[in-house]
Amino acid sequence: MLKCRDLSKSFEKILFNDFNLDLEPGEIIAITGPSGCGKTTLLRCICGLENLSQGNIFLNDVEISNMPAENRGIGLIFQKPVLYPHLNVEGNLRLASKEGDSDISNALIEVNLNGFESRKVETLSGGEAQRVALARALLASPEVLLLDEPFSSLDEELSGKLAKEVRDLLKKRNCPAILVTHNKTIAKSFADRVIALE
Amino acid sequence: MANKYLASIAVGLYSILIIVPLWLALDRLVWVAGYDVTEWLSSLDKNFISQGVLEFTILQALLSTVATLALGIPIAWQLGRYHWPFQSLIRSLLTMPFVMPSIVAAMGFMHIIGENGLDIRTNRDTWFLTLIIAHSWFNLSLVIRFCEPVLSTLEPSMEEQLRLLPGGKTKWDRFRHLWAPLLIPSVAAAACMTFVFSFTSFALVRWITLGENTLESMMASIGSSSGIKGYMVSKNEIILGSSLIQFTILLFSLWLMSWLQHRRQTLLPTASEKVVKKKNALGWIFVIPALLFAVLPLIALAISSFRITESSANGTKKYWGTDGWEYAFTSTASLPSAWDALYNSVGYAIITLLIAVPLGWILAQSIRDLEQFRPKLARTLDLFTMLPFAVSSVMIGLGVMLGMIRINAEFFYSMWLTPVLAHVMITTPFVVRIILPALRSLDPSYDECAQTLGLSPFKRFFLIKIPMLRGSIIVASIFTLAISMGEFGASWVVTRNSDWTTLPIMVDSIRSIPYNNSLTAPAANAVSTVLMIIALILFVSTEKFRAKRDGGMF
Repeated sequence: MLKCRDLSKSFEKILFNDFNLDLEPGEIIAITGPSGCGKTTLLRCICGLENLSQGNIFLNDVEISNMPAENRGIGLIFQKPVLYPHLNVEGNLRLASKEGDSDISNALIEVNLNGFESRKVETLSGGEAQRVALARALLASPEVLLLDEPFSSLDEELSGKLAKEVRDLLKKRNCPAILVTHNKTIAKSFADRVIALE
Repeated sequence: MANKYLASIAVGLYSILIIVPLWLALDRLVWVAGYDVTEWLSSLDKNFISQGVLEFTILQALLSTVATLALGIPIAWQLGRYHWPFQSLIRSLLTMPFVMPSIVAAMGFMHIIGENGLDIRTNRDTWFLTLIIAHSWFNLSLVIRFCEPVLSTLEPSMEEQLRLLPGGKTKWDRFRHLWAPLLIPSVAAAACMTFVFSFTSFALVRWITLGENTLESMMASIGSSSGIKGYMVSKNEIILGSSLIQFTILLFSLWLMSWLQHRRQTLLPTASEKVVKKKNALGWIFVIPALLFAVLPLIALAISSFRITESSANGTKKYWGTDGWEYAFTSTASLPSAWDALYNSVGYAIITLLIAVPLGWILAQSIRDLEQFRPKLARTLDLFTMLPFAVSSVMIGLGVMLGMIRINAEFFYSMWLTPVLAHVMITTPFVVRIILPALRSLDPSYDECAQTLGLSPFKRFFLIKIPMLRGSIIVASIFTLAISMGEFGASWVVTRNSDWTTLPIMVDSIRSIPYNNSLTAPAANAVSTVLMIIALILFVSTEKFRAKRDGGMF
């Protein structure tokens, strides 16, 4: 489904070189590695927020390497949840909704935030904010979801719990995903397959 | 990223609006006066019109700066370090003078020192002191705006740590080792701005002094007879010499301020204002006189519009009435009605807003985009958009006027819209300066996240960017309206040879009617009061939308 071929990226140093990946439908992959090894940049290149130095990305056999990010159909959950402060929870979800109110309510129920529609985003805890970001990303029905260390800012107990919930949700939706993390324990419990980036 | 074609059009339009009139004016003046720069500069000393003007301009600007700092720093300290009831109202009242049109300030101070007030204007020493105090009144808010955020949000642990060290045992030690080094960049930046505004002050100089000139007021008064080949060549030389000196001094001051502001940005760990502030009952000793100082000229102005003094052979009769207002709002053979001036002012302000805000925004967005990919080009464009700050409003007015003469004098003098050109030149750099910091502080992940949600550039612009920049756009718009409504120097030069007037020009025109008309002062004050009320409404609206007090000038 998602194929990465010989991906390379370098700024002042080489971040990753000749990286290859095949992601199957419904599969969850975790990419681990130390800080600064290029994990986040790899995700940003895959979803189109940054340009590759070289290599090709295919989604469902269509090359998307030069496609703008908004047209790729790939979702991203940032390390620190990005919620728009001028909109409430419902407004944030509406940005990704294609069907309307029921769609939004269901998305919130799925992430255990039933009734949070009118909440202001600044009143949300870290875990709640990350769940809203997840609900919004899934509402956009991405072909692939990328997760950039979304549990790293939460405490150990909450991150483990949220990681399990997210995995169950992704599996239920059969949504393929790539998680990058420096936490090998989370990587093993979350993913079907773990790849180490040196 | 801003569309590169749109950015190119904006830069081109801005160049035409800003550079072309100034270039044409310069070309015209040089055509008359010749290319000898030393002749331009030496003409300042040779001609009786300009003798001593440069010295006076620098002296009054320096003294105004010192007086403003002496008044402003203790007030900023009190506001920044201590908790006050009605904090936001106090802050608004103290920073309000800066948004008042200069002609309003001039009329307010005229009343305080005039015959219905302290009656001390005719004394030479008094008006000089009054001019310095008026400049301090006008620029006090700059010191507060620059210094107070540093004082009110500095992380408390910075001072707490120092108290536990041998070098910070006493208040003086802590002031010397912590507060002074932290405040110096802000104080110096405020000083630069105060110097610039005092150096280019026109309405206050024109009305408070008894015929004394600064470079700015001199250029305004002799500008109308410049640009004519073979006619009063020395005036062209004086204008060129004055412009060159003024441009150099203003450019240096602005560069210094920009450098100091940049230094300040990198220094300070901050905390919430609530964490930092304590109570201080004794501080009212500073705050109450400061509040009185800030509002007194404005209250005096409003009251004096109802105070009429009639002089006749039988003596002087004083009474209260609305005659001044009626006089101002009724057209006469020599003066249009204030309604006409209000109509013109509002019209010019709205058209200026419609041009300056989109233009300024596109320029700001272009600078922001270039900063990420071509930083040197971004810096060049940034400096280019700041250029009009180094050109005073009278110089802009002269640029437009002489530019018009070069292209088609008759056409431009008869065109109602002509003053808009000067207003756009003056306001666009302010729009850039307000929107650019907001764009810089906008976390790029907001846009990136919207991209990953599949939102098109069009949707991202309307659903994310505009709402997130709403506060800055509204502040920029209100600022544009306020500057345009209160603009005096450029409009005074541009509209001198035309039939239209604006509210500030009307105040000046009414007040210029000889004193044997008992209604001129109250009528001028009535129109000034209208301007003051408009400025107050706009100012209160701005305060509501200012996102954070970031220590900037706006």
